[in-house]
Amino acid sequence: MVGLAREEALAHDEVIMDDADSDVEVSDSEDDSGEEAQATPSENAIYNKEAILEKLEDIAWPKNVDWMHKLTIEHDQGGKVDVNDDLARELAFYTQALDGTRQAFEKLQSMKVRFLRPTDYYAEMVKTDAHMHKIKGRLLSEKRRIEEAEERKKAREAKKIAKEVQAEKNKQRAKDKKEQIESVKKWRKQRQQGGFAKGNDDVPDLNFEGEEGFKQSKKKRPGVSPGDRSGGLAKRGKEGKNRRSRDAKFGHGGRKGLKKQNTAETTNDFRSYKGGESQTKKRKRS
Amino acid sequence: MAKKRKRTDVPAEAAGAEKPDDSAPERPPRTLFGFKEPAPDAEAAPAEAGSAVAPFRNKEKVLITCSRRITYRYRHLMQDILSLLPHAKKDSKVESKQSKGSALNELLELRSCSSCLFFECRKQKDLYLWMVKSPGGPSIKFLVNAVHTMEELKLTGNHLKGSRPLITFSTNFDEQPHWKLVKEMITQIFATPKDHRKAKPFHDHVFAFSIVDGHVWFRNYQISVPHNEIDKVDKGGLDKMTLIEVGPRFCLNPIKIFGGSFGGPTWYENPYYISPNQIRALEKRQKAGKYAKKVKAKVRRKMHEMENTLEPDEFAELWKGE
Repeated sequence: MVGLAREEALAHDEVIMDDADSDVEVSDSEDDSGEEAQATPSENAIYNKEAILEKLEDIAWPKNVDWMHKLTIEHDQGGKVDVNDDLARELAFYTQALDGTRQAFEKLQSMKVRFLRPTDYYAEMVKTDAHMHKIKGRLLSEKRRIEEAEERKKAREAKKIAKEVQAEKNKQRAKDKKEQIESVKKWRKQRQQGGFAKGNDDVPDLNFEGEEGFKQSKKKRPGVSPGDRSGGLAKRGKEGKNRRSRDAKFGHGGRKGLKKQNTAETTNDFRSYKGGESQTKKRKRS
Repeated sequence: MAKKRKRTDVPAEAAGAEKPDDSAPERPPRTLFGFKEPAPDAEAAPAEAGSAVAPFRNKEKVLITCSRRITYRYRHLMQDILSLLPHAKKDSKVESKQSKGSALNELLELRSCSSCLFFECRKQKDLYLWMVKSPGGPSIKFLVNAVHTMEELKLTGNHLKGSRPLITFSTNFDEQPHWKLVKEMITQIFATPKDHRKAKPFHDHVFAFSIVDGHVWFRNYQISVPHNEIDKVDKGGLDKMTLIEVGPRFCLNPIKIFGGSFGGPTWYENPYYISPNQIRALEKRQKAGKYAKKVKAKVRRKMHEMENTLEPDEFAELWKGE
């Protein structure tokens, strides 16, 4: 139906003139096929102004009727409103209603009429409560969708920044490592060159650049040596906070992949060979 | 018909808070057509200095009907309008054969209504609205476009059912006689009578009728203004007033104005009006023209080529051997 309004509006635009004079019409539309349909009515359009005005007098309410009966306000539209621009059109209607209401409220207030609904006045509304509930649900879901989209955007940005920061940190760390190795090499070279004339200077003075000193590595498992296949979990001391219950629930953490290994211990380990006789019997049978 | 209440009870029983009764001198003896004020000599002129010689009572009653084969959208629109006008009565569907002229007039008389809103749906696509004033009044036929009902979830406002609306018109209603007539009829039909039984006391919604591009656009807004007392807006509250759309929305395109009700001499014809059938026919014709145009273009191209032959290209045979 909106489409229909558009079509009509477009067709009208071609012959549009001011509302002022509808009698004298010259329809010069470029749309040839529609011209025949439009031209004839606009020339022969009936417009019996006197009869209309007469009838208006007949049916109209008396002139001195109290405004409270009619509650009508007129509002000047200002310029011409473009029909096809939805936003402008709706804005025009909104301002008309707003302006009208303001005037009406001023009048009502001056008449000392009770016109504002108190908050505790409950009566039947034009839309049911269930319907308003649906509306509320929809508004909330829309709000949530917008918020989620914003959060996702922010998370994306934050991830990008975090990545950059991480890259920076890695670079810095590599640089530090390189520098430390370089400084040790330098010291060694110096020592070699200078001979042992420096005396028993065993402790290398590594603080060339004036750093803060050797920092403890921030790795999470400082006690683990590189060759340890169990990941530091093979030897564990006293059990921590309810370790046994957690083990029962989530399984054991340790013994990483050490279940099958051909080491000295497992070669001499005959725990799993219990029923030796049955095995020999099986072999004899097959 | 419902039992008529005694006249004396009506002012006291206005629903909800009572409005202070202005004017209210003694009511004149009720006449059958009490809508116009009775002749001044018919009643004893009250001694009090009232604003009117005979107090005006709006006894408007609107009959709302539709034709058969109306679609759901327009039926909902009709129901929405019914809920907006507490002084309206709904009647059952009218057969299409009867929809012209006499039958509807009889119906109006039967239900003792002074005006009528008749929704006529054609081809299950086009909705025409007749606004008619009953005995011998003028009638206007509109084409209804751009219908949005109150059910739409984007229209979030709500207001009291039966509260009297504030009606705003744009000033271009006063420019031409036929618009003046439209305005008067709209006022009489859409304004809820002041002391109607079903009318609620407060004013919390506003109608906006405006003329844009030769169409009458209708909007219904809920008024929300910060207030603590019921007869005074908060200081500066008028600036903080917001309007929330309640719906429904529609756009009326006047087609004709007739002298009688549902017929009579034509007094006004809209020169810009094209019937929806014509529009659809136009579109189809345009689409049909596409193939014919293509064939014509092909023929034209051939003729053109035949008339202006190209010079033989030197390099055309160049790669032929390969």
